[in-house]
Amino acid sequence: MSSTAATPGANRSGTRAATPPLLDVRNLSVHFPFRRGGLFSAQHGFIRAVDGVSFQVAEGETLGIVGESGCGKSTTARAIVKLVRPTSGEVYLEGQRIDRLSDREMLPYRQNIQMIFQDPFASLNPRMTVGKIITEPMNIFKLYERSQRKLEAMRLMDLVGLNPRFLNRYPHEFSGGQRQRIGIARALAVQPKLIICDEPVSALDVSIQAQVINLLVELQAKLGLAYVFIAHDLAVVRHIAHRVGVMYLGRLVETAPKAELYANPRHPYTQALLSAAPIPDPVAERQRKRIELQGEVPSPEKIYGGCSFADRCPIAEESCRGAQPVLEGAVHQAACFKAGL
Amino acid sequence: MPDEKLLQVEDLQVEFRTDEGVVQAVNGVSFDLAPGETLGIVGESGSGKSVTNLAILGLIPQPPGRIPSGRALYRGEDLLTANTGRLSQIRGRRIAMIFQDPMTALNPFLTVEEQLTEVTRLHLGHTHDEAIAHAINMLEQVGITGADKRIFDYPHQFSGGMRQRVMIAMALSCNPDILIADEPSTALDVTIQAQILDLMKQLQQDHGTAIIMITHDLGVIANICHRVLVMYGGRIVERADIDSLFANPRHPYTLGLLDSVPRWDADHSAKLRVIPGQPPDLAKLPPGCAFYARCAYHEDRCKLSVPPAFERPGGGDFACFVDVDAPIMAKEAK
Repeated sequence: MSSTAATPGANRSGTRAATPPLLDVRNLSVHFPFRRGGLFSAQHGFIRAVDGVSFQVAEGETLGIVGESGCGKSTTARAIVKLVRPTSGEVYLEGQRIDRLSDREMLPYRQNIQMIFQDPFASLNPRMTVGKIITEPMNIFKLYERSQRKLEAMRLMDLVGLNPRFLNRYPHEFSGGQRQRIGIARALAVQPKLIICDEPVSALDVSIQAQVINLLVELQAKLGLAYVFIAHDLAVVRHIAHRVGVMYLGRLVETAPKAELYANPRHPYTQALLSAAPIPDPVAERQRKRIELQGEVPSPEKIYGGCSFADRCPIAEESCRGAQPVLEGAVHQAACFKAGL
Repeated sequence: MPDEKLLQVEDLQVEFRTDEGVVQAVNGVSFDLAPGETLGIVGESGSGKSVTNLAILGLIPQPPGRIPSGRALYRGEDLLTANTGRLSQIRGRRIAMIFQDPMTALNPFLTVEEQLTEVTRLHLGHTHDEAIAHAINMLEQVGITGADKRIFDYPHQFSGGMRQRVMIAMALSCNPDILIADEPSTALDVTIQAQILDLMKQLQQDHGTAIIMITHDLGVIANICHRVLVMYGGRIVERADIDSLFANPRHPYTLGLLDSVPRWDADHSAKLRVIPGQPPDLAKLPPGCAFYARCAYHEDRCKLSVPPAFERPGGGDFACFVDVDAPIMAKEAK
């Protein structure tokens, strides 16, 4: 596993240093406009799906991003690769700003940043053979000699644990776990440095999940890949990530190296999240104490003057509603006025 | 002691005719349920856990489905041979079910009030006013604030967690003996899942309802269940109370399942142990153990015949010729 993982804050102060981080996301926001009321109503508002998110990912590192549905983790992933257009903020890939590029200008950068999706059924073209699916990116980026591409596809299939003889089969002939392997092989076809994984194992059965997680870890060790790993499952993220960020209502509320985050969560939302996550062990389940959160995740259209978690927070005070807390700390950062106490 | 068993399922088989051949979804499942207990059924997709329970409630469409053998005795009465009229009296009244996706299980065209009162007017003979008062009471019990106003809302006006609460209120409104919950918290976020599981435990204490909890999540099993059935390839491969199952799994599949689940409360430096291969094709089940091809402990005899149930020392059983304890203990002794 990568040694860069242990020094996430190392180049935080000087991002213009000799080697910029592989991925540098600064103050990223994605706001979706919506119309309130009827079809012809003119009153508009914004859903703040992602609201001022900043993080960096080093080469060979895995950053896990966890949060509940609607927290903006998937939109963050999509905004990085410009599947949705960011409203504001900056995204740098190896020091090169990519968020303002046109689709055509963006194309060469896509070779370094690939994506794996949650649904292995919807993300593969049912009318293309596995061979076509894996060689298509090579055709687009004109990698390898034309005659070599098929061999390369077979090598990739072998690498991700698929039988290369199945080159001419169609996606429906494969199980969910195998399809996810096809998606991984397709992402690897252009030799990227960074793969954004959006809930890559949550649609899979437990025993198959473990196979795919192990595959991603192996590939990282072999190829020096970096991952942004988006998931709602805290256990899966703990297994695969070096560093973890927790999102709530479009904001990063805590980031830390994983051991630190799970052993010593500082933000009350992270604490509540961990206390709610079930443990597959009846003895541990009986002994733990649960922090009960009031209510449910509010709609992101609501605009908060202060901390957006204050309404549900067990330790919130009146002062928390005055200003929005920002991430503070060096290696272990939390956006909470009371996290240090 | 037939009076101690609320539900007894004996040798249930369910198959489906498909283009690929006959899919044997459930292959001789037997279990029973005592009043007030929570029985977990855990297994992966295609293990037969949902089909077993749909069959009990007479919800298998026939054709393409077929139930070649089996009995499902509810207080001594076989549900598999009961006619539709009798089943309608039992479903919703004595045995209720909640589903994974509360959005598709609720009718989007009807208000919550219309859907909640329908059950009690039908089964309990409530008048309109009685039914509404009862429905509001149920919504309050499941923790919906402002129930007297929210009852007139449509399902889309509720969040996912709230809809699941409405489903639970509906299922429990006739005070059933048995609640079958099919992945009730899988579609929900963890903090909401924790609320729903706590709610189910609370309601079980208040009403003494027996719960069958179908899930793939071992964390949910550890949280809420008393006993567990582990299903694989349409058969029960192991059954035990949760403490002995988690502490001492005897079937290689149970062992593999427990090992392959990452835990957030433990540090993982090593790779996850995995179960290699894929779940079996139910249209082409092997003559022997369905887990044979993926099993690290398999022997020749496992290929030839389906292993019978062997007793676990503390109660329960496991269907495996090989005692996985023996090799593990040998390894630990070294």
